[in-house]
Amino acid sequence: MHPFEYTLADDADQAVAVVTADPHTSFLAGGTTQLDLMKDGVLSPERLVDITRLPLKGITHTDTAITVGALTTMEELAADPVVRERLPFVREALLLGASTQLRNMATIGGNLLQRARCRYFRDPTVPACNKRNPGSGCAAITGIHRMHAILGTSDHCIALHASDVAVPFAALDAVVHTQGGNGRRSIPLTQFYLPPDDTPNVENVLEHGELITAVEIPLLPAAARSHYIKVRDRVSYEFALVSAGVALVTEDGLIQEARVALGGVGTLPWRAWDAEDVLRGSRADTEAFRSAAEAALQGARPLPGTAFKVELAKRTLVRTLETVAGAQS
Amino acid sequence: MTTLETGRTVGAGIDRVDAPLKVTGAAHYPNDFSIPGMAHAALVGSTVAAGRIRGFDLSQAQAAPGVLTVITHLTAPQLERGPMTLLGGSPPAPLQDDRILHYGQHIAVVVAESAEQARHAARLVRVEYETEKAVLGIDDPRAQIVENPWGLDTDRGDIDAGFGQADVIVEDTYTTPDNTNNPLGLMATLAAWHGDALTVHDSTQWPHNVRTSLAAIFKVPESGVRVLAPFVGGGFGAGLRVWSHVILTVLAARQVKRPVKLVLTRPEMFTSVGHRPNSVQQIKIGATRAGDLVAIEHHGISSVAMEDDDYEPVSFGSAVAYACPNVLTRDRQARLNIPCPGSMRAPAEGQGNFALECAIDDVAHAVGMDPLEFRLRNYAEEHPLSGLPWSSKALRECYTEGAERFGWSRRNPEPGSMRDGRLLIGYGLAGVSYPFYQVPCQARASVRRDGSAHVRSAATDIGTGTYTVMTQLAAELLGLDVSQVRFDLGDSDMPYSPQAGGSGLTGALGNAVHTACRRLVQEFLDVVAGDAGSPLRGCLLDDVTVGDGRIHRVDDPAQGESYADILARHGLEELSADGRSTPPRSEDLGMAPAGAFGAKFVEVRIDPELGLLRVARVVSAIDGGRILNEKTAASQIIGGTVGGISQAMFEETATDAGTGRIANATFGDYLMPVNADVPDMEVLFLGGPDRATAVGTKGVGEIGLVGMAAAIGNAVFHATGRRIRSLPFTIDQLML
Repeated sequence: MHPFEYTLADDADQAVAVVTADPHTSFLAGGTTQLDLMKDGVLSPERLVDITRLPLKGITHTDTAITVGALTTMEELAADPVVRERLPFVREALLLGASTQLRNMATIGGNLLQRARCRYFRDPTVPACNKRNPGSGCAAITGIHRMHAILGTSDHCIALHASDVAVPFAALDAVVHTQGGNGRRSIPLTQFYLPPDDTPNVENVLEHGELITAVEIPLLPAAARSHYIKVRDRVSYEFALVSAGVALVTEDGLIQEARVALGGVGTLPWRAWDAEDVLRGSRADTEAFRSAAEAALQGARPLPGTAFKVELAKRTLVRTLETVAGAQS
Repeated sequence: MTTLETGRTVGAGIDRVDAPLKVTGAAHYPNDFSIPGMAHAALVGSTVAAGRIRGFDLSQAQAAPGVLTVITHLTAPQLERGPMTLLGGSPPAPLQDDRILHYGQHIAVVVAESAEQARHAARLVRVEYETEKAVLGIDDPRAQIVENPWGLDTDRGDIDAGFGQADVIVEDTYTTPDNTNNPLGLMATLAAWHGDALTVHDSTQWPHNVRTSLAAIFKVPESGVRVLAPFVGGGFGAGLRVWSHVILTVLAARQVKRPVKLVLTRPEMFTSVGHRPNSVQQIKIGATRAGDLVAIEHHGISSVAMEDDDYEPVSFGSAVAYACPNVLTRDRQARLNIPCPGSMRAPAEGQGNFALECAIDDVAHAVGMDPLEFRLRNYAEEHPLSGLPWSSKALRECYTEGAERFGWSRRNPEPGSMRDGRLLIGYGLAGVSYPFYQVPCQARASVRRDGSAHVRSAATDIGTGTYTVMTQLAAELLGLDVSQVRFDLGDSDMPYSPQAGGSGLTGALGNAVHTACRRLVQEFLDVVAGDAGSPLRGCLLDDVTVGDGRIHRVDDPAQGESYADILARHGLEELSADGRSTPPRSEDLGMAPAGAFGAKFVEVRIDPELGLLRVARVVSAIDGGRILNEKTAASQIIGGTVGGISQAMFEETATDAGTGRIANATFGDYLMPVNADVPDMEVLFLGGPDRATAVGTKGVGEIGLVGMAAAIGNAVFHATGRRIRSLPFTIDQLML
């Protein structure tokens, strides 16, 4: 690992100032991505500013939303009684991610900023990676890419955004609150991530040194039902091949409101707006669900190693919709 | 030969004698050792698969903090290749020229004050390559093909005539991927020179091989080389050879004149210590409509490194599995620019059995016969190659009692006919005839004045239970309580032992311990032979038996005395005896020495829409000869079964086309089952002591794995009607 300096921040303003001022300085929270990438030689910051002592932990509730401090761990959020009762698919997505040990370290802010699992990105001996080395090419497109994206890809990058919890967050129109050199702002999660296009090294709208302070999650109507299904190569401790997070409000068999997002398929957590349009006002039946799934995968650009994911994603979405619909009948 | 009587101690499922050390952290594994003044080494691996090194820029690395030296082929001394061993040639000596033969090849070693400094500096070594187009695929026409590499190709009967009699023929191609042995303990070496003497802590499955090899490579007397491996964090075959990193650690210690420790990283484990090579297998089986096998033809080709050897006769098992008059097996290897494969738990058998036992099921299905009935109908009562009776074979009982326990009779033969809601249920089975393997071994047994015994041999316990079962065996043979026996291993200064491998150690070592203990009792009888005060005076070995710390007469058990009394009365501190085992030979026995047999029964549940496959339960019925400890033996089968599930459903070492880079060389990317993927597994031991040796064990270290891939594949076929002939069985292959 490249030698680095470590400082423990006790003031958010100062931490933001320090990191903003120096492109070779990074924040350190749970470290479950950052330290791996440093050990692998992908990241080599000169200085880490440890923010884990900042008062950005904890969950507050209102009648319409919960606000999650960025340093709240995945396990802590999963255990929240309001999440358990009102946002079950958030809890399911959290608990299907990583392992208990990692979930006890990993923070919600860090989870949203997790880097690609792409083995070409994570191995600095591979010359071609536009995310790591802009303009160098993409080894994954011609390489082994079974775990890569089929939606939102470009000719320059097909790396997947592998977060589970960001899937229901996207479906729920969560809002990311930040503090940066230019002050505070609030960014809808669906506008937070940037597709790779020809700059896959730029993954989100954050400025260098801009710190996520909290994530605000609007609650669903009390009548809503939700579910998250994750399909993967082993039962636990593995990233999704495809996943689906769905919330529905139905009345008399008709879908009043639908929230649909997909994981394991997108270069960013994939809100399936087209699927929602199909579902809204439809009968909650398999035919509508299949139409919604077709709409969700309309723009898929599979490669040889990911061809199977198109149909698998459709089936997974249908299954998730059926499960949610069944749960309220 | 005096065979072991069934006793109180042998067979009992006692807890591991080394368990308290392991669970309290007091067991020291090779990378736990430190020596004052020790430096640390890190490796630089090639990032190309073929070509030459044009040059290095070492300036940054050498200037990095704590760096003592950087050794490359430009500065390394000439080293001889290690010697020929029981397992074939040694790996090539590292850093001998500028040629690159595979990705990850060790091309430099950095030595520094700390492991972190060494690793950091290793990343700063700049290498300029002259890259060549690597040969990476078995099907690459440029690959050199080695025909019949081990002389094990077989021909029995007339294969063409056999197929001429067949009413049904199945013919298919099966493929298995590269798998990588991943013991949890990263392979580590700590080397310290004292003049020409050398002490090495090493994650080896075979201390004597390390001693012999290092002495030859560094041209020092073997007697001054000591190799220690009292605890090894797993092996699965990765510790069978003296790999490059071991040699480089010893070399580095000599160069910097300090002890040096090197611990492989997990990614380096994928390129440095062997792996199960991929295979492409063509299998063709013919049977009559009545269900009699008439011809089996099995061709296998495996990958191997450009300039190294590996023993993988994948098709050979098909020559000894069934009573079939016409059999042809052929094995070949394709030389590729890949890290050298090596034995991985059940080498060859793990791949070959998958093709054979799937194809057997297909034949049974084609003739409309239950696959269990088909296997029993074609049961090999005699060894199919020699025609000799087996020294033991309870495979029939494995089939029938395993089926009973599993509930095979509830199987509806129609594929796709059994369901639980939206899940398809499949029952599958596979048979295993594991080859016999045993090589010479030695052990020494001593009894001391306090009546306790010390038995030792330079074997290893890689998690298999060797400490425990040898303690039990010695206690039985000396008539002592287990608490009075200490068994030591893992030190090349102890009597010679072969490797923990080939499912052969327990047999070899057990029979050496048997001989040593019997000779030790004889030593005591010799001491009292003319002792008027001894009730054992004049007794021959067959006249006495042992128990409760005493030797006593068979004809009058009241007449006897304790070891302690004999030693005290004769002014002796201890008596010792050496024992040696040699492998049984069929020409002496008039029988074919048998390995273990097994029948594996598996239930799978499949969600056909999402391609989700789960193994719901497993029954393994095993003929392992005499079982020395029913608990550790069952653990071996359970561990092997998990390895088999892993081979069937998860493991695949992925290599980038073109560059030869291993694309998934981490535990995050190389999948193995987690607990939730592993069902309850039942193990039945059937049969009795094998007749070929005194102790009568048959190795059970590998048979747990073999057959699982085929049994799961057969269950998938039963559940879905889909035959998958390419491992692993992943979601994309299973979506219906």
